[in-house]
Formats: sequence, structure tokens, C-alpha cells
Amino acid sequence: MGAATRNVAIVGGGHAKWGERDATWKDLAQEGGKATFDAVPDIGPEDIEGLFVGTVQPERFAYQTHVAPMVAELLGIDVDAMIARTELACASGQAALRYAWLAIAAGQLDCALVLGVEKMNLGRERMPEMQGSMSNVLDREFDGVNGLTAPPFFAWYAQRHMHEHGTTRDQLSLVAAKNKNNAATTDFAQFRTEVDPADVTESPEIAPPLHLYDCSGITDGAAGTILMSEEKAREVTDTAAWIVGSGQSSMAGNSINNLPSFSGWPQARTASRTAYEQAGIEDPLAEIDVAEVHDCFSISEIIEYEELGFADRGEGGQFIEDGRSRLDGDVAVNPRGGLLGCGHPLGATGVSQALEITNQFKGTVPRDRLVDGAETGLIHNLSGSGSVHSVMVFDRDPK
Amino acid sequence: MTDTDRFDDDSTAIDREPTRERVSVPTEIELPRLLDFYELQTDNHTRIHAFYDNLREGRLTTTRCLDCEEIHFPPRIVCPECTGDDLEYVDLPHEGELYAFSAVRGGLPIGLREHDVPYVVAVVDLGPVRLSARVDGATHDDLEIGDPVTLKIVEIDGPTDEERVFYRFEPVPDGDSA
Repeated sequence: MGAATRNVAIVGGGHAKWGERDATWKDLAQEGGKATFDAVPDIGPEDIEGLFVGTVQPERFAYQTHVAPMVAELLGIDVDAMIARTELACASGQAALRYAWLAIAAGQLDCALVLGVEKMNLGRERMPEMQGSMSNVLDREFDGVNGLTAPPFFAWYAQRHMHEHGTTRDQLSLVAAKNKNNAATTDFAQFRTEVDPADVTESPEIAPPLHLYDCSGITDGAAGTILMSEEKAREVTDTAAWIVGSGQSSMAGNSINNLPSFSGWPQARTASRTAYEQAGIEDPLAEIDVAEVHDCFSISEIIEYEELGFADRGEGGQFIEDGRSRLDGDVAVNPRGGLLGCGHPLGATGVSQALEITNQFKGTVPRDRLVDGAETGLIHNLSGSGSVHSVMVFDRDPK
Repeated sequence: MTDTDRFDDDSTAIDREPTRERVSVPTEIELPRLLDFYELQTDNHTRIHAFYDNLREGRLTTTRCLDCEEIHFPPRIVCPECTGDDLEYVDLPHEGELYAFSAVRGGLPIGLREHDVPYVVAVVDLGPVRLSARVDGATHDDLEIGDPVTLKIVEIDGPTDEERVFYRFEPVPDGDSA
């Protein structure tokens, strides 16, 4: 299957401040929208033909549905071509990007706003309500009911990866420290305090073997990007992130019995190979310069090194230990700070990752995390029980 | 516009204080049906009620397709393998092995607040199926991958009058393992 028929670029975008925000879902949507339009001065609400809003649980976290038209109203956008809200759990933002890309590639529109928004914090005293909503991402009747939230679920993967491949607790800590330290220069990030690897196991144990610093945050935030057809993009910018491949894979399984592995993600392998084939990438480690991958937990990134083709199966722990995913390594993984550093406002994450790749190409990220001469980038998100994986590849030049 | 700006139109001039009245919202409401942690289990609520009926009788069962013989978990009403809907309930082993496990120390979902923490949540390999389950009667540090566990039934008190049950597991007592 070839890539889409028209070239599509991400020309820029912006973020709301991420964290525990004294702000509503609607506030965050407006902040993210304004930051996006401010970052792309030639584009305003009147230019937007398609609006795609990635958000997971506004019905639970904000008690609001039909949210895409709400964003249209808040940002003054009359949508003439396509409007939709996408929900694919933690990959909702990436799903929104994917639909905007396809709509533009298919010639249905020339300019789209993709906005990811999530309001998650209801106040510390209401954490059980928030966590209850998160456990419903799994099959509520048979899995969520066991008090199975994300940390113990991903702790199983850490336990099995250690059991099967000899991955060490220290290697998990190296991932967490790398990403949290990368986030120190990310102005919107939730966690900007630098940590040593030794600090990770000093942080509270959440779900053994995972500690607090192994876990991404519970984050309020928003991120937006403008996607344009090649003809229109050329009018507003010289440097953009061109979408050259996009793969997605979902198994016929979502609940625990139907997951074939607790140490790997076959769908990440499939989705990335689809995207690589479209992008003409034969050796991802050699050809991808910068990657924003779904480090919802430290173990996730180690497995992703393997499934995305950066390391052999079982060698993900050694890959971080050898420093190959550092900013100056073979592939700079999560220069933005990842979910561990930036936090994880579910629907906004994929959008933020794509914006980081765009800004890496533009050279507008702070010098400390700029990947010199980056030509090719990747974003990856898993969702739910890891049964779905989404991969998108970007290049400085449309092919 | 600042707080003190006024529209020029005289019709919007503020010439009197607005009236005030105190209204209230309830401080407690009946637990909303969908926030009840456990599903309703009887035949007027779910077409997999036989699973729960069997569990109430002490049997852990699941569906098998009579057309293609595929065993499912969770139980279904349509076979995902062949889309047939001629399914039967078959017994699952009541003893299995820990495939993976962790413990929840905090960040409890609503509905579990009253339970003891930490609690162990595991993948239990029963052979025909692998399922997630609470493991009672052990702490995380007591357990190892491969440990044998056996079925336990919990009876649920809650906001409905219906008798409800669910499955958990507990370690097989020493010397009692098959």
C-alpha cells in the first residue's frame, strides 16, 4: 500500500502549559488554540477547513460531549469540510493527526487544525474518580473491575521483560532519568526537575517494580498543530514536517486473555513496518534521527526500541545502557522529555510529539535539546492495553 | 474591556442591585448505576448471565463455539473466530499459575477505596485462557512467577439487592498443590 496521494505538512503549532492546572477543559482548548495560531501567524481561524479534536474522556473528566463543535465555537472556526473528535485512548491525538493527514492527502481540504486536549486532574482528593475513569480504558467488566489501572498493567510488562530478557531495574531508571532530564528545557512540561537514575527507585513505589518516576503524569494540557497541503504549506513556511508514512495496527484483542505477549508489542512492529515502507526506510536505526515514542512507563520505551527496529528483541535494556537513545546517540528518543517528563494529557500527547518533530526540523527548540541536522523523525503511540499501535514518519523534504 | 467598562447604550446601565437567591445542589446522591464497580449479572441485564450464574454456584466457566470449537474469554454471545452464535459454557480449571503480577499501593479507582491496600493484581494462566484477577491472601513479596493459585469467589455487597459474585485467586496452600 502506497502513501497518500498528496503531500501533507505540519507547518507549526503550540501548547497550553501542561500540569495540574487551575483551568477547565474549555480553558485548555482555548489556550492550545491560541498558542497554535500565534505560532503560525499566516493562518487564522478563517483558514481552517477541517477540525480534528483528539480527546479521550471529556465525558468523565469534564462531563462534556460533542466537543469538536465546542472547540470550533471557542476558536471561531467555521468548518466547511470535516469536523470530528477522535478517541483512541492514549493515541487519540495521533488518530486525529492521521485523519487530518488523510483528508488533506485525499484532496478533501487544504488546511486543518488538529487539537489535542485533556483535562484529567479533578483535585488530589478526587483521585479515585480519575483513576476509575482510567481503569475503564481496559475491559471494564473483566479487567478494570480487578482494580487494574495503568501502573500495575505496565508493571507486568516490566516484570515479564526482566524475567524473559534479563532487563534490569537500573535500565528502567536510565530511561526515566533521560526523559525527565530532557524535559528540563521544555517550557510547557509538567516535570522539569532533573533527576539522577538513582533517584528513580528512591521515589515512592507505585506498582512494583515501577516507582513514581517510572510513571507518566496525570496531566491537564493541550497541543495544536496546523496541517496543510503542499501547495498551501509552501505559501506559509520554508520548513515543515512532511508526513511520509503512517502505519497503524490493532489486534483482534483488547482484554488480558487476548494479548499474545506481556513483553512485546507485535502491533508496534507491524505499524512501524507499514510506515517505514511508505517512507522508504530500510534501516530505521540509521535513517531516523529523532523519535518521540510512547514512554507512558519506563518499560514501554525499552520495548519500543525493540519493536520499532532500533534494537534486537530483548536488547532494549542494553540499548539505553549504551546511551544509544540519548540526544547525542544513534537516535534521539524523546528529546521533548517524553510522557515521563512532559506529562501525558492523553489526547494531547500525539499532537505534542508531532509538534516536537516539526520544531526540531525548524530548529526552534532550545539549543540543549536540538538534534543537529535532523532530517527524519518518528512518532509512536500505543493505546489501551497496547493492542493498538500507531506510527507516523516525518521528513524535512516531501518525497 | 475592563471590569469597569460600560456599554454606551443606556439600556444596559446598572441602576439597581440584582436580586439574590440561594439555591442548593445535593451533597449526596445515590451511587450512579455506572459507577457501581461490578456489572449487573442477571438475565434481565446481560446475555452472558450464565457465566455469572455458574460462578455463583462455584464454577468458573466460559463460552466455546459449537461450530469452530474456539474457547473465548471473556465469555461472548458471538464467536469472534467464526461469527457463529451457537455457543456453550464449558468449565475452566480452578487452579492456574501466576504469569505476571504486581501490587497496587495507591491511585485506587473509585469503588475500591474501602478495600485493603496494597492488593495484588495478576495475570493468571489457567491453560485454556489467561485472565486478570486480584490475588488475595498474599503480598507481592510472597509471590513468584509460576506460583500455583486457586479460585476464590467473592460475594459482593453493594447498592443492588441482586446477589452478585466475582472471581479472585489465592495461593494454593503449601503441600496442597497438584
